Amino acid sequence: MGVKRGLDDSPAESQSRRRKNDGPIHDIDAEEDQDIEEDFSDKLVVPKHATMDAVNQSHNFQRDSVSYIFGDHDYTWLPLKTDHGSRPLWITEDGHIILEGFSPIAEKAIDFLITIAEPVSRPSHIHEYKLTPYSLYAAVSVGLETEDIIEVLSRLSKVPVPESILGLIRDCTLSYGKVKLVLKHNRYFVESSHPEMLQTLLRDPVIKESRLIGDDEPNNAGLITGKAPNAKDVVIPGVKKEVPDPNKAAGGSAATGAASQATGEDEIFAVVGLDRDDDDVENDDVHAFEISSSSVEIVKKRCNELDYPMLEEYDFRNDTLNPDLEIDLKPITVIRPYQEKSLSKMFGNGRARSGIIVLPCGAGKTLVGITAACTVKKSTLVLCTSSVSVLQWKQQFLLWSNIKPHQIAMFTSDQKEKFLGAAGIVISTYSMVANTRNRSHDSQKMMNFLKSREWGFLLLDEVHVVPANMFRKVLTTIAAHAKLGLTATLVREDEKIDDLNFLIGPKLYEANWMDLASRGHIANVQCAEVWCPMTPAFYREYLRESSRKRTLLYVMNPNKFQACQYLIRYHEERGDKIIVFSDNVFALVAYARKLEKPFIYGETSQQERVRILQNFQHNPKINTIFLSKVGDTSIDLPEATCLIQVSSHYGSRRQEAQRLGRILRAKRRNDEGFNAFFYSLVSKDTQEMYYSTKRQQFLIDQGYAFKVITNLDGMDQEQDLVYSTPAEQMSLLQTVLLAQESEADLNEDVEHDADDLTGNTTRRSGAGGGSVLSHVGTSLAGGSHGVKRTVGGLKSLSGGDQMAYIEYNKSVNLKDKDKKEHHPLFKKHYNKK
Amino acid sequence: MVKAVKGVVVECDSAVKQIILGLNEKGQFIIEDLDDTHVFVDASCVDQLREDIDQILNENTYKVEDAK
Repeated sequence: MGVKRGLDDSPAESQSRRRKNDGPIHDIDAEEDQDIEEDFSDKLVVPKHATMDAVNQSHNFQRDSVSYIFGDHDYTWLPLKTDHGSRPLWITEDGHIILEGFSPIAEKAIDFLITIAEPVSRPSHIHEYKLTPYSLYAAVSVGLETEDIIEVLSRLSKVPVPESILGLIRDCTLSYGKVKLVLKHNRYFVESSHPEMLQTLLRDPVIKESRLIGDDEPNNAGLITGKAPNAKDVVIPGVKKEVPDPNKAAGGSAATGAASQATGEDEIFAVVGLDRDDDDVENDDVHAFEISSSSVEIVKKRCNELDYPMLEEYDFRNDTLNPDLEIDLKPITVIRPYQEKSLSKMFGNGRARSGIIVLPCGAGKTLVGITAACTVKKSTLVLCTSSVSVLQWKQQFLLWSNIKPHQIAMFTSDQKEKFLGAAGIVISTYSMVANTRNRSHDSQKMMNFLKSREWGFLLLDEVHVVPANMFRKVLTTIAAHAKLGLTATLVREDEKIDDLNFLIGPKLYEANWMDLASRGHIANVQCAEVWCPMTPAFYREYLRESSRKRTLLYVMNPNKFQACQYLIRYHEERGDKIIVFSDNVFALVAYARKLEKPFIYGETSQQERVRILQNFQHNPKINTIFLSKVGDTSIDLPEATCLIQVSSHYGSRRQEAQRLGRILRAKRRNDEGFNAFFYSLVSKDTQEMYYSTKRQQFLIDQGYAFKVITNLDGMDQEQDLVYSTPAEQMSLLQTVLLAQESEADLNEDVEHDADDLTGNTTRRSGAGGGSVLSHVGTSLAGGSHGVKRTVGGLKSLSGGDQMAYIEYNKSVNLKDKDKKEHHPLFKKHYNKK
Repeated sequence: MVKAVKGVVVECDSAVKQIILGLNEKGQFIIEDLDDTHVFVDASCVDQLREDIDQILNENTYKVEDAK
């Protein structure tokens, strides 16, 4: 008995664990993680130094009355330099860098720090960065040298740079990035400016074997020597004419800056000389040897083992085999300074580096991608997460660049086209490309087409959502020279972000949200967390209920209802356009019906959606809409200026940031004194408080401050609020208690779209985990012919939730009817006939 | 014979009141339920009660350290 019960329990348990733990549906779940881990072990050899252990030394120093608060992070013992006042940083032994954001040279220090370290937290005055092996690799990959990093750090630091940090920097930068894998004229070269390093590599038997002795006469050392390209002749389109070369311009202005500040401080300003160093290095002679294309993977792996990880670069201007694509930005298109900066990181030395660019939602990631494609000017493959964004990418390409419509092709479940001519752009989704299940004839043909060619440039949109193994599949099936990942939120609840670093490349650039907001590129947002007390009756039930039903209780809290109604009313009077988000469909429908507002969720038809969205945009009478999580991404509503969050996906930091992104691109953002509003309604004393705080962490690290509102002013005076009488509240409570437990699920509102990524991942997890209880609303690829498994109550099975059954093979059933035996009473009658 | 029980009036918000009522179901310590925000409990249980409530409320608090 006991054993049996144990067996029965386990799937349900793992199910509930998954629901609780994993972030939004995009995030891969635990079981999948393990697969990835195994997959990587053979392929992805992380260099030895990628693991860093914090040095834990006890220091003898005078602890004071507040020391205990800081614990191990009490750094009062660090000796200050005598002129520490003019230096902006502290560097601690475990790699944290604290920056005074108000220092006069902070801006330049920030430029330097984002190259060598990862931003951890950036509020307005004090910033925190962290040195990690990955960030150091990224620094090397953009051309910084070990000694430069150390020198600049020690100049900027108020305290002597700790030995452990010096060691870390040396370890991580000495070997990394010195060897490059370059694809030139469709031949692979291992290139380095340090010939002795190549000699070391050539001594290795594996690499020696894969070496090709070219026809071009090798010099004495057996290496091909040549000039490295420099950035002088690469012009990123869209950059204003006055500053044709971003590097040069930066160097020039820096030089004048340093000259004007020719006081004793100019020593510190040497930071800005970095850009010049970059050029100097690249002007050196480089040495290379060729390897056969078949052994590239082997050499790459071997180099990782030898601790000389190779950087991949694509010398697109010297690639004569792949035909050029006629594409350029339209003359009117001008890119913003930060977009230019991010691209100059990518094309810094005249070649295309692979990597990830992080920009906030609404800051023009698409344009960065398009500009990069216009710079490379080769066949480009764009991958995004859903068919809606496929369309948007196509429109954006046509809008910003001079590409002809026939050169852009889309590859989705309903559109499979090829471009005309030798080169072009294909836009598709991750799941279409990564899918290994049987495809239709058309898509197989299309896949063969994708696989058969060499792509100059692979553009990966929203890289953070894609499970790593899906990525690997994409990257192994598609032969692309340069890869660029774009994202707004490089966080995952499963901390798998680091995998991306090695799959795509290092993070090239991360924008500062606050900075962009203050310059008017994205809207200023006031964030507030509104605490709604639970009514006694609801809280009593909350304490009694199981954890799943609890969700429903705290979302349906009558006080929350009232707060929501009050906020909508208040902001509608101010003339704001409001979006209300609720992950929970039950609550969404209940709220929207009660408050008489239009709503969109997974089951809303495409026509209906368009109608509601258009009304929201143009009809002055429709100022509020309710959206489920279908609105988190890919719905572009620049009219919206106020956002109210009623229920959300547990503690997902990314969802919070993505939702905030809905109002960052507000049209009115440049009006005088304009503020957008972001409210998160939280029921007090419930789990929601925990999740809410967790969700905010990402935005807080970006410098946003959440105001806590415990009491909405003026709500007491407000007349005719919903559920104001105890009787109404009781009847609401009854409805909630009677609701199905499954109503509390957040996952059911997934778009039923065959090539929609979210649907795909959910399905995969269901199949992979082998759990009998499949997720509600998951359908197999292909949609119409798949089996649909649902868990639901009697109400929904009998059609209560707009569910309908299809009768298959109708003709057979009809035939049976004719043949049916008649009751003996009637037999005579029929026989007579 | 008069039997005297020493009690303490607890003032709290309505949510905590519900928690106290919930706890009372396990071990009877409420002497008199006064109103929405006041309850009269057995004095000997106060320390235990305080601890239990702290624990329940802490479950809903996110600490940055947890994440690290």
